Order: sequence, then C-alpha cells, then structure tokens
Amino acid sequence: MVVALYGAFLYAPTEREMGEVQRIFYFHVGAAWNCFLAFFGVFLGGVGYLITRKRIWDHLAASCVEVGVVFTTIVLTTGPIWARPIWNTWWPWGDPRVMTTMVLWLIYVAYLMLRSSLPEGETKYKYCAVFGIIGFLDVPIVWFSIRWWRTIHPVVITSSGAELELEMIHALIVSVIAMTVLLVTLVMLRMAMSLNFSVAEEMTLNVRHSDRRVEGV
Amino acid sequence: MNPVALTWILAGKDLKIEYRSRQAFLTTVFFALLILVIFNFAFDPGSPATREAAPGILWVALLFPGIIRLNRSFQLEMEEGTLYGLILSPADRGFLYLGKLLANWLFLMAVDLVVLLAFMIFYNFSFSIQFLWIAVLIVLSALGFSAVGTLLGAMVSTIRTREVLLPILLFPIILPIILPAVNGTQEILLAQEIQSLNRSVELLIAFDVIYLAAGFVLFDYVVAD
Repeated sequence: MVVALYGAFLYAPTEREMGEVQRIFYFHVGAAWNCFLAFFGVFLGGVGYLITRKRIWDHLAASCVEVGVVFTTIVLTTGPIWARPIWNTWWPWGDPRVMTTMVLWLIYVAYLMLRSSLPEGETKYKYCAVFGIIGFLDVPIVWFSIRWWRTIHPVVITSSGAELELEMIHALIVSVIAMTVLLVTLVMLRMAMSLNFSVAEEMTLNVRHSDRRVEGV
Repeated sequence: MNPVALTWILAGKDLKIEYRSRQAFLTTVFFALLILVIFNFAFDPGSPATREAAPGILWVALLFPGIIRLNRSFQLEMEEGTLYGLILSPADRGFLYLGKLLANWLFLMAVDLVVLLAFMIFYNFSFSIQFLWIAVLIVLSALGFSAVGTLLGAMVSTIRTREVLLPILLFPIILPIILPAVNGTQEILLAQEIQSLNRSVELLIAFDVIYLAAGFVLFDYVVAD
C-alpha cells in the first residue's frame, strides 16, 4: 500500500492536461474494480450459504458487503472530486459506469438495512443470501439497460481517453494490486471479527444454558 | 395436484379476496391519483417542461402504489398464518411464487390502467393508438415489478419496518425495468422517433424473463423454514 502511495504521488509524472487532480485516478480505479469484486464475494457467500448452510459463507458475504460499501463510497466521492475540475460537473447523469456504481451502492446499503432489521438466525442468513444473489445478477442488467438508455439520450460529456505514459501504467498497476490486497485484508479481518462474535455468542448462550440447568435442580 | 392448477387457484384466491372488499384496490388507485395531483401542483402546469416530464410522473404514480400492493399481498398471510398451509402443499414452492405473482400482476395491471386513464386526462394527452402501446408497456413492466416484488415482499413480510424497507430493497433492483418503460412512454407520448419503442419492449421482455427465473428458483429459500 505504501508502495502504491509512493507510486501515485511521487513516481508518476504530472499528467499533462489535467494536472494534479489526475492522481486520484490511481485510487479511484483500484477502488472501483474492487467494489465489484467485493460484490462478487457477496454473491459467492450467498450461493455458498444456500447450498451448504454453513455460517462461514454468511460471514464472507457480510464482510464483503461492509468492506465493499466503503470502497464504493470511495469511488463515488473521488469520482466527483475528479470530475468537477475536468468535466465541470459533479455528477454526469447517464454515464453507465457512474450510474451502475450508484445503483451498486444503493444495493449495498439496502443489503445492510435488510441485514440489520432481521433478528439473528437462519432466516437472516438465508434472506441476505437471496438478496445478495439477486443483487449480483442485477448489476450487469443495470449496466446494459443504462448503456442502452444512453444511446437513446446521448449525453454531452465524453470520457477522457487519455494515453498513459509508461510510469503511469506502472503506478496504476501497483495501486490496483495494492487496493485488491487491501480489500482482501479488510475482508479477512472483518471475517475474523464475525467469527469471534459468533464464538462469543455461543459461549454466552452456553453459560446461560448451564445457569438455568443449575437453577433447575 | 397439478402445479399449474395450484397456481391458478392461488391467484384466484388472492384476487377473490381483493374483489370482495374493494378497499385495497380503491386505496391504491386513490394513492396513485393523489401522486398525479401533487405533481400537478409541484410543477408549473402550462410549461413545456412539465409536459416533457409527464412520462416520468406517470411512472412514479405507478410504482409507489405498487409497493402497497406487494406489502398487502403477504400481510394477510402473515396475519392469518395461512402461509404455513400453503407451504404444506406438495407442489414445488416455485409455483406458490407464480400464484402470488399472478395475483399481484393482475391487480397491478387493473390499478395501472385506471391510473393511466386519469393521467391521460390530467395531462391532456389525446386518446388514440398511443393508449394501447402504453398499456403494453404497463403489462410488461408490471410483470417484472411483481416478479422481484413478490420475492422481496415475502422476505420482508416478517419485518416491522417492511413498508419502508421494501422500496429500499426493490427500486435499485428494478431500475432496468423502469428505464425502458419510461423511455418507451416518452417515445409514444412525445412522438419522437418510434423505432426505439420496439427495443424498449424487447428489453422489458428480456428482463422480465430473467427476474421470473431468478424469483422462481430463489422463492423456495425465502419461504422454507
């Protein structure tokens, strides 16, 4: 991660047209790729849970959602910061990538809301798994429908297809890899946390159960 | 028991309940009309900008009352505990889904057509062949809406905050239905090039199929205990 930071700020030369703001690009692309990867993790967790009914899959899904929503928020905040000086607009309506990421963010948040309003138990894991699966299947559909809609209503803003110099490509690759590693690390940490929670839960339940047994004598 | 017969019977049961006391139907229609009227006040009625926004207004008025229907569809099951009786039937749970879906779809189509009539009157569109095309769009998008909505509605039926939660869950997912529907309506009403209308219809059909398939498979997990 440190290497990526160095690469983004010091190694890559200042982009010709856009100036310093372009450096956001390094974090933005890494975060964007990863938020979709995290959602794939949610899908895997959902399918895994529905097939095996093992709680570890639910832990995977929940951790991916929490970390994924953070990455998506990063994408949606760094995006406008970059866009304002370059395209003179905070929010380009109609751009398929922007809109799909927005919808992805909404689905993430909806998942979290669903998760928090269900009581602990099998039902919760099942319902979240189902929603995760349907959400993941939906994302490509959303992408295509927005792209189709965009061809009907052409938007004035064109994306800047800048050529990248060699050092920039290096910096980009390094930062994407770094972000991916960051994602995996965070998900793993979060999963460890979930597992600890559930172990603690079980121990609490066991203690209560044995208390009752003692009293019942 | 023949699963197709089960589907029909289930849908028929739901629709009969709604028919006997038309309260839910009227409430839903009234809510939609209210939305149309509020938008009338929200925008300057004479301006061309409002006329251009009219297709969007129609679809807002169609979507939000749909949520009411979806919530109600499982509310009765919850209150009377009849869901267990349904689950006990030997047919594949997917047909349970189809039965509920059919009832929701037909109900929504009925509501939507009444709202469409009111919309044409309020916003001064002439009754012509346009009416039929918009009806087609409504039929298709109500199907997709009901497909995802029945699945999610079953999920949230046990949650206290279901009225708020269902729209939050549903709308991001059915965005691909809303886009072609609004776009198609725009084409028809504002008479731009009609060629993309076919594409809208094709897309709606494609998305409906995907949502139906996903719902059919996943409903089992939602309802099973």
